[in-house]
Parts: sequence; structure tokens; C-alpha cells
Amino acid sequence: MALSKAYPARQFRPRGQTATFVQVLLAGAVAIALAITGCTKKRFDENDNSLNLVLRANVKGLDPISANDLYSSTVIAQMYEGLLEYNYLKRPFTLQPALAEAMPEVSKDGLTYTFKIKKGVKFHDNAAFKDGKGREITAQDFIYSWKRLADPRNASEGFWIFDGKIKGLNEWAQMVKAEKANYDTPVEGLTATDSNTLVVKLTGVYHQLPFVLAMPFASIVPKEAVEKYGKEFLNNPVGTGPFVLEKPTDWVRNSKITLKKNPSYRPATYPTEGAPGDAEKGLLADAGKQVPFIDKLVFNEIVEDQPRWQNGLKGNFDWFDIPKDNFENAVKDNKIAPELGAKGMALDVTPALDVTYIGFNMTDKELGKNKLLRQAISKAFDSKTYIQKFLNGRGVAAQGPIPPGVDAYDDVYKNPNAEFDLAKAKELLAKAGFPEGKGAPELTYEALSDATARQGAEFFAQSMAAIGIKVKINSNTWPQFQEKIKGQKAQIFGIAWGADYPDAQNFFQLFYSKNKTPGPNDSSFTNLEFDKLYEESLKLPAGEERTKLYRKLRDIVADESPWVFNAHRLGYRLVHGWVGNFKWTEVANDYPKYIRIDAKKRAELGSKL
Amino acid sequence: MSMPNTDSLPLTAAAASTSTNATSRNSLWWDAFRRFKKNKLGVVSFYVILLYVVVAALAVTGILYPDISVPNQADAYASISLSHPFGTDIFGRDILGRAIHGTVTAISIGLLASTLSLVIGLVLGSVAGYFGGKVDAAIVWLYTTVDSIPYILLIPSLTFVLGRGLINVFIAVGLTSWVTTARLVRGEFFKHKHRDYVMAAHALGANDRRKIFGHILPNVAHLAFVQFGLGFVSAIKIEVILSYLGLGVDPSQPSWGLMIDDAKNELARPYWGNLAAATMFMFGLILSFNLFNDALREALDPKMKNK
Repeated sequence: MALSKAYPARQFRPRGQTATFVQVLLAGAVAIALAITGCTKKRFDENDNSLNLVLRANVKGLDPISANDLYSSTVIAQMYEGLLEYNYLKRPFTLQPALAEAMPEVSKDGLTYTFKIKKGVKFHDNAAFKDGKGREITAQDFIYSWKRLADPRNASEGFWIFDGKIKGLNEWAQMVKAEKANYDTPVEGLTATDSNTLVVKLTGVYHQLPFVLAMPFASIVPKEAVEKYGKEFLNNPVGTGPFVLEKPTDWVRNSKITLKKNPSYRPATYPTEGAPGDAEKGLLADAGKQVPFIDKLVFNEIVEDQPRWQNGLKGNFDWFDIPKDNFENAVKDNKIAPELGAKGMALDVTPALDVTYIGFNMTDKELGKNKLLRQAISKAFDSKTYIQKFLNGRGVAAQGPIPPGVDAYDDVYKNPNAEFDLAKAKELLAKAGFPEGKGAPELTYEALSDATARQGAEFFAQSMAAIGIKVKINSNTWPQFQEKIKGQKAQIFGIAWGADYPDAQNFFQLFYSKNKTPGPNDSSFTNLEFDKLYEESLKLPAGEERTKLYRKLRDIVADESPWVFNAHRLGYRLVHGWVGNFKWTEVANDYPKYIRIDAKKRAELGSKL
Repeated sequence: MSMPNTDSLPLTAAAASTSTNATSRNSLWWDAFRRFKKNKLGVVSFYVILLYVVVAALAVTGILYPDISVPNQADAYASISLSHPFGTDIFGRDILGRAIHGTVTAISIGLLASTLSLVIGLVLGSVAGYFGGKVDAAIVWLYTTVDSIPYILLIPSLTFVLGRGLINVFIAVGLTSWVTTARLVRGEFFKHKHRDYVMAAHALGANDRRKIFGHILPNVAHLAFVQFGLGFVSAIKIEVILSYLGLGVDPSQPSWGLMIDDAKNELARPYWGNLAAATMFMFGLILSFNLFNDALREALDPKMKNK
């Protein structure tokens, strides 16, 4: 019968052949072993002046108008710049001019901002320009870039920074939608009186304008490159920043992005003054020197905890976060473990200015309409246990959206719906119409696909099972996950928001109905009273009155529970001994240009790792 | 092992076995059973598989570890003890219990997926082999196309379309792993369709359906058995891989793949309960299935008959 023919592999193999096979294997193993030991002798080049960093999620694209997630915008901030930037050292965070000559002149009524733009700043050299040489920037470039952000055809997630704020910009966007206007159509609020003077007129007072101008969304892009590359502009970044993507192939999707120092970077210097204590830490040694100090900047994309950690320990990344499963070995009594300290690493602990949360899709038939159901879910979720399990206790249970360290944070406030209480949760669920979970809809939770995110999702599912609600879990890559949220296709999703700028408004805008997804209001939360109070708060400068309004906003959000508030994290990271000028900046992403790498020290320390 | 009802197959038994006398005692199946019994390793493997099935059945009925998905936060990452032979996981659930419930997942996927692939393979293979011509060309085209797509790409893409979950995994595996069966069965049908016993059936007025399913198929059925076993093993492995990659069963369902996924981070603690339990359970089941398959194949192969 045909059987034996069908399974030739299971038939006898002559002994001699087996032996040769083993020999080949052995020879191969020896060769590989030799190659490895050969490598370890010289793992790092003494002249390799490069900074190697790691991102924990994949980068979506490199166009500033789509920089709505931390990972993409971190990379974008290396190549693009806006009018303003944060001082690297000062805390609380302080703005300073970047492409602007000086801080803007503001009219008395607070409605007109006049920016002088630095002369002689050039775009990166690129084939999009004549002769491939980057041309000088003008005020017109800002107007073009911001119109591009407003252009409804681009469906930018970042338009919220200007939405309804700049005179005539929304009207212009409407006209573009109706194909009655183009980029040559003037916008009343955006004018260039000469090639280096930009006048911005606002519809109302907008105290956060300087902050949003430091965000990658407001970066300047050259019209020539946008027109030349079209949709491919996403993969062909051309800006004014300290680093350049020399060719699109330097970005290996889902793997790494290699940037080179911009040889024609504008005069920009390391800050001459910092926060108290910075000088003692040696952070001011490079004061006044031209940045960047490094020649090459590599962003590695590694989604899983362990490869990230192991590569970090090996010195392949210059600094890296500590995953939950390695925490106990890396940190002892809130200090770095001695064996790691002996290798020259240092521990950096900085509050993350963020909030992790579980968002509900408020357009969902069940969740959106049933406040009691949302409250029940919120009460059944034990964020304290979550923080112990997943953050090794590195965080505070969130009571609302505002993290400690941002103004208007209230450390005595307790959100009645955020406190874990199973009995009360069950009561609320019964009031919501589902006693013991009977008749409750099966919910779907969207998570990222790495093991830790999956465990977090399981934790949520278990918490819900305890009150009788069934939860299905979906795994997604970061871009898929974002797509689902932006398309209102995610029912429940675990995500976090990190401050774009140190103002509580940045957290409250996440609930403003006009910022509905694809804007930053991922939950599509809509509440008229909230909107009214939020708009009022925008008109107020920082102070007691605004804080009062912020408290009211927080109470509305706490009651409506569009999110389950989870944690405000504390960032723990290890920094290798060859990294100089390291100071973790939570709101700014342009830190690589200030970093100094001691390549000799790396070659020396690295060989022992 | 199940034995075909000999009454329904008077001709086949007579033709396939070398004996001229079609009694159940020396039919092909009985003969195979006799030879299988002689293979000690095969018999032991069979009992091991049986043990897995019994344990899985006990878990399903709730006799073993009924509360396995209930977390017990106080007990998280407990070390090895009498009550927790492999310790507990991040949520304080007993790892042995998780592994046992993982057996349920593995066996149900193996069973369902290999049944599905077997049915598809048998039907398409027999039809192609029996009718030949254009029907054959069409089916060969189909399976060559399916076969040309690497399964490691095809199955994940199917689960992307269908979504997560036990049912979807078994559909995805079943729909992609029938090619070998179809190809083998088709070849056998080519060989058998002109044999005397088929001609005899034809002469007696049997229609196509009867000739395919009543006469030829029982004579190639031993192939199906072996294919079923092989399919079972590969389905279990694929389930583990898919769950590990986050494409398999829903995370609320215990699975060896998810346990290994947990373990890859926990090994840093160092904490190896999940890895040890999942791999040991997998090793035992897959090894015994492979040994059992080998024994079965030898027993069913007429060429090995006199050895």
C-alpha cells in the first residue's frame, strides 16, 4: 500500500548519514560559538557617537499632523520643530523659543500673538527642493503647516489644538471641505506681515496656545516636500530638527529607525540655567554649547518586555524602563540593585504625569446610555491591586484624570466611583437593570498583544466576572488598536494619556465633545454642562478660580464615569554610565539633542555587560 | 478501537484482506488490532492518551479544579507546595489546574480541527480520485493553491478575519490542514477504482455514491485513522503557537500557549511554574500521540503484516 511512500521521513536513515549530519551540526555550533565570542571582545566601537533608545510600541508614521501617540511623536520631535520648545532642565516646565526669535508679543486683550521667526533656519536637504538643498523657512511655512493640520481631508488627530481658536481657520476648513477654498485662500487669523513675522489672531482667550505650539502637531513642514511625496510624506520626513532620516530605508518598519545628525542644524545651545541641584549633578557642564552632541540616533521598536530588558542590560539601549517582572531584581529598597549599580548603571525615578485608564466607547448602545452600568464596572475594578500586580506599586490609584504634579491635582479627593467595592458594584449593577449580571451584555475589551497587556486585560475580565459581566478580549498591534479607537469600533479599551503640557486642561480636553475621536476624546464623551464649564475654564488664567472650575469638571467626569480611572504611574528606568546630561523630561520629546555619549566609556563598560 | 460493522462491507473486507474468507476474526481491522497489541510502546501511549482524555473529562464536568478561573489575589506567585504542585500564577490561580484545563482546550481543538480537516480531505480526495478529469483538475488546483500558502501565514490571517476564540481556531486549523489527507486519499482512489471488487460492485449495479463510500472508502480508511492522529498533534501545536502569539483562544480560556506567554516574562523573576507545567503537559500528550500514531500506522499497513 501507499503508506510507506507517504512517510519516507519515518523510514530508516543509514547510520553513516546520521553521523555526518551530527558532524555538520557540531561544526556549525562551533563556528557560531566562535563568532559570538569574537563579537563580545569588541561589542562597542570607541568612536561610535550614537544614542540608542527603545520604544515599547510601533511607530505609525512620521508626519507631524499624525503625531498623536507617544511613540510616533517621540520620533517626529527629532526631525521637526515648532515655534517654541521646553527648556530641557527647568522645572516646572518652562517654554523657550525654538524657531521663534523670542517669546511672542501678546496684545493686551490676549487675542493677538506676534512671533518673530529666526532668520537663516533651513529645512533638511531633500530632493523636494531645488538642487536638493534645504531652503530657508518663512512665516508662510507656518501658515501652510497649520492649514494642513486643519484641512479636513487630512483628518488629523491633532487639529484640536487650534479647533475653534484661530480666527477664520475653522471657516477655511469648512470651505475646503466644500471645495470652495484652497491653501492660497487667506485665513484672517494667520497672517505673515513679512517673511519672518507671523501674526496669530484668536477667536477668544487661549492661555494654552504657547503650550500647544511646542507640540509636534504645530511643527513646520515644507510645502515642496508635502507636494512631492503626497501620501508618502508619512515616510519621507523633511523638517528643521536636529536629526534627519537620510533615506526612507533607514526606517525598518516595526524594527528600528536610524536618524543622523542634521549637519546644517540652526544655532541652538544647551541651557545655561536649570532647576536647583542640576549644577551639582553635572547637568550644566555643557551650558551654552551647540547641540546636538551625538552623531547618530537610533530608535528601536521592541514590544515585548523581556527582549527590551535583556537588550538594555547588554548595553544595546542607553536607557530603558524596568518591566514589572524584573522590578524585584533591579530595585531593592527603592535603590538600584548593587550588582547593576556596579556595572555603572543608575536608577532614574520620575513621576510620569500620566493617567492610565479603561475607556468606554460612549457611542456604544449599552455602555453609552447606561451610567449605572459604567459606575458598576468602575467600582468593580480594583486599581490598587492592579498597581501592585502590574506596576510593582509604582503609582497612585487615580481618582480623576489629573495626575500629581499638574496644577489642580487634589490629593485628598476620593472619587466615589473609583473606590473598589464589590458589594456596591453589584448594587449598582442591579440598579442598572442587570441584577447579578443577568441580561448584561457581553463586553469586548481591546488590548495590545504583548503578554503584560494581555494579563492586564485578563485582570479586567476577572474583575468583571466577579460581578457577573462577561468580557471578551481582543489583541491588537498599536496601530490596529489606535485605528479601532479612532473609528469608534473599540467598546472598551485600556490606554493611557501622558501630559502634552503641564496644564490640567490637557487632561480635561479629553472629555470635550468637540474633541470627539478621531480627536483626543477617545470615549466620544458628550456632556453639555461639561462643555460649557470647560469653555469657561479656557478663558481663565491659572489661579484659584480656574482650579475651582477644574474641580467641577472633575466631579462631572467622576459621576458620568466614561473611564475607569486606573493609575498615575511613576517611571523607573535604568541609565547606563556612559550617558551624560540625562534628565528625564516628561512633556518634551526633543531630549536626545541634549544627551552626550561617552563612547570610550561605553566600549569599556559595555565589554563587561 | 472501533470496528466497522462487517455486515455492511462484505465485498470490501473480502477484497482488501488477503484471506478469502470474510469473517470478522481475520479481517484487516482485527488483524491490525492484534498487531497493535504487540507494540508495547504503542499500547502504553494509548493509555497515556486515554489518561489525558479522562483528566480533561473530569475537568469539564467540574470534578477537577472547578474554580480555575477565579482569581485569588492573596495567593499570587505562590511557590511549590502540596496544594499547588506547580505553584500559582500572577492571579493566584493554581498552575496545575490551569494546565489540566489547558488539556481540555488542546484536546477539543485537536479533535474538532482534525475531524473537520479529515472530512474535507476525505470527501475532496475521494471525489477527485474517483471521478478524475475536470473534477480532479479542479480539486487538485484547489489544494495546490491552499498548500502553496505557508500555513503559518494562512492560519493567523484566518484568525484575524474570524476573530479569536476556540471555535474560530478550530475552523482555521481545520480549513487549512486537509491537503495531505486529500492528496493521499485521491492517490488511493486512483489505484482502487479499477480493482476487481469495484468492478464487481459496478456489475451488480452499485451507483457512484455506493462505490465511493460503501466500497472504496473503507479500504482506504486506515489512512484516515493515521491522518487523523497526525492532524490531532499538529492542531494542538498550532493552538499553542496561536495562543502564544495572541491569536488563539480567548485569554479567559486556559491554554498552554497562554501559559508559555505568561512564562516568558515570569522567567525573569525567576518563576518557572507556568513554563514547566505547560511544556510537560504538551510533551506528554504530543509524544504519546506520535508513538501511538507510529504504532497504528504499522499495525494498519498490510505490508507490515507478516513482521
